[in-house]
Amino acid sequence: MDDHLTGILSNIGVISFVALSAYLLLLTGEISFGQQAFFAIGAYTAGIVTAMWQLPFWLGLGAGAAAGGAAALFVGLPTLRLHGLQFAIATLAFAEAVRILFELFRYQVVRDGEPVGPNGIEGFRNIRYIFEHDVSATQFMLIIYGLLGMTLFGFFLLERSRLGVAFRMIGQDGLLAAAQGVPVFRVKLMAACLAGAIAGLGGGLYAHLTTYVEPAIFDVMLGVHSLAYGLIGGLGTAFGPLLGVVIDIGLLESTRWFAGYRMIVFGGLVAVLLIVRPRGLLDERLVHRIRRLVSRRPPPAPTNAAVLGEEPS
Amino acid sequence: MIPFIQTTLDGLMVGSSYGLLALGFALIFGVMRRLNLSYGPSIMVGAYLGTLLYIQFGAPTYVVAIVAVAGSVMAGVYVERLCFAPLGVGAGVASMVSSFAIWMQLEQASLLMLPRHSYPFPSLTSGELLSVGPLVVRPDYLIMLAAMLAITAALHLLLYRTRFGLGLRAIIENSVAASLSGIDVRSTMLKAFALASAIGGVAGFLVLSANQQVTAMLGMWATLKGLIAMMIGGLGSIPGAIVGGLVLGVIEVHSQTLFGPQVRDLAAYGVLFVLLVLRPGGIFGTAAVSESAAHRGGDRWTTT
Amino acid sequence: MIAARGLLLSLFVVTVSSASGWAAGVKAKAEVSCAATAKPLEYDCAIKLSDARSGAALTGVEVTVGADMPSMPMAHNVKPVKATPGSEPGTYRAQIKLEMHGDWAVKVDLAGPVRDRIVKSMRFEPKP
Repeated sequence: MDDHLTGILSNIGVISFVALSAYLLLLTGEISFGQQAFFAIGAYTAGIVTAMWQLPFWLGLGAGAAAGGAAALFVGLPTLRLHGLQFAIATLAFAEAVRILFELFRYQVVRDGEPVGPNGIEGFRNIRYIFEHDVSATQFMLIIYGLLGMTLFGFFLLERSRLGVAFRMIGQDGLLAAAQGVPVFRVKLMAACLAGAIAGLGGGLYAHLTTYVEPAIFDVMLGVHSLAYGLIGGLGTAFGPLLGVVIDIGLLESTRWFAGYRMIVFGGLVAVLLIVRPRGLLDERLVHRIRRLVSRRPPPAPTNAAVLGEEPS
Repeated sequence: MIPFIQTTLDGLMVGSSYGLLALGFALIFGVMRRLNLSYGPSIMVGAYLGTLLYIQFGAPTYVVAIVAVAGSVMAGVYVERLCFAPLGVGAGVASMVSSFAIWMQLEQASLLMLPRHSYPFPSLTSGELLSVGPLVVRPDYLIMLAAMLAITAALHLLLYRTRFGLGLRAIIENSVAASLSGIDVRSTMLKAFALASAIGGVAGFLVLSANQQVTAMLGMWATLKGLIAMMIGGLGSIPGAIVGGLVLGVIEVHSQTLFGPQVRDLAAYGVLFVLLVLRPGGIFGTAAVSESAAHRGGDRWTTT
Repeated sequence: MIAARGLLLSLFVVTVSSASGWAAGVKAKAEVSCAATAKPLEYDCAIKLSDARSGAALTGVEVTVGADMPSMPMAHNVKPVKATPGSEPGTYRAQIKLEMHGDWAVKVDLAGPVRDRIVKSMRFEPKP
């Protein structure tokens, strides 16, 4: 497979993780500007485990995901009491604080006569696991998509489980959900933890894909982008954020002839799209209609919006 | 003691620019209950237009100021028309993401105008420091503080002595009731947006002339500072925005003096985080933001 | 399910490949210097590749040069360009076209006898 195409597809795969992470929180009705922090934590952790401690790749990924989840738990406890903009800004403050902490973080060991490890602003280079162990670009892409597939499968199960319904209930109306016996805080915390782990996993993959991470990568831009992917692609299904990533990165590659005007075109397109479809392309109503067309038996209980036949508002 | 007062004074000066930025944010958020992520970039467009005139044509400072403010207003109106007006009351997140997309657009448009990382910007004063007793004051910053006080006073008059201000306050209180009372909510929102952008443009101009340079980071910087200051002071509260800005400025300058520039930003975010967790309403808001309050008419910010 | 099959396949591939290629391959070291050309945002980059351990020049390697902006990952991906071997052994030249000025992470991908990737952080500013 053409190396360039493999690279693009791998990028799409990795960024999808942080998009799914923001999407999961969005389902519970919370906007997070901070998922990039868990992406960063996952990246650095995985890099440290494989490049510095010379441990196996899967251990590194697992550690990255676990670190992301743990950090999300740690931050979720004080912040999930907040709502709306307060929560969003708290996550933003947390993520930027994490980024600055990585700018100050220095931890190096010597391998092959050269220092390896996070070096503050200069970042963490030479995360060369896939080169040292002869994993080809295509193989790594398959690993990325294998894990992404597993994650999507997890979302698939989630949408059909009580937990998934609880997520969307809280997202629609937290007070009503609480009145119906849903332990809102605990469920939100679970969502935050899962979202953190997903982002952490993606971060570990990203670090190994590019072999180089620096704090500047994990800035507010990445956070708002990951949120935007869900909104553009649609909040009806986990494929929505994926669609958003494909559109963004795919469009970025294809509008190459716009050269210096790419952002102008892309930004305008997104704004217009959101006027026409405020809940993204694959929003809940469309997904519900597709499910009804596809399945021969009656679909699972739809969300309130689809039942009431009105746009969620 | 004197160094402490000096640092605090410097912080207040810097904070007055943050206060102005936060003021614009608070106006928009108070009226529309939505976050405008294109606020900083709109200011950037105006500032860049002004810089362009300054560099290419040697325009005098007052022309640069007028162009900066006018450019900011034009960009703000563009954002309002494209991102906020067409989307209904409920679609809060969509309009925010839309404003983010336009952020990218405006930032790239500005960078196309002026691609370098930094450019010179005209200054208002000669730069000589004034001495007030044992303390030293930079005149540019003094102008900024004065401008902030003047604008705050003017805004207060506008809000409490004019029909337009009455309409604004009514919408901030409850937009549905306001429209039922016959207030043209849409056009008032547009005017509020323009006003907020104008204030932002002034803030931007003053900060840039105090620093005598403009950098490509202006958009992100203005958005972040305005947002943080607004949150510290209290979501959507106008006096809160000013206080929040001043507090942010003081915290920043003290942290920088004690620990250096990197910790400065870290301290600002740390304080913001702790404040949000302990007192989500900010300094001027209510101590707790209840769930029911979040569902008041027009305040459905999280659920689209 | 396709997802499960894909995962099993990739697991299998990884285990097999990591079992065979356990010895760490050649680690490359690169020196990159880019000079501005007459056209704005186009740069002529000279790359010098050597073995990080032995210091010997690396010849006959397929070199691809790309760039990415750290502050906006993948937003400004520069299309990777194949480098041509230079006059001296271990040197390669490539011409890259950037989208914007600022800080870029230049990626030098090696294929052929040596597989590696080196990332250099560089700042590109317009000529005064």
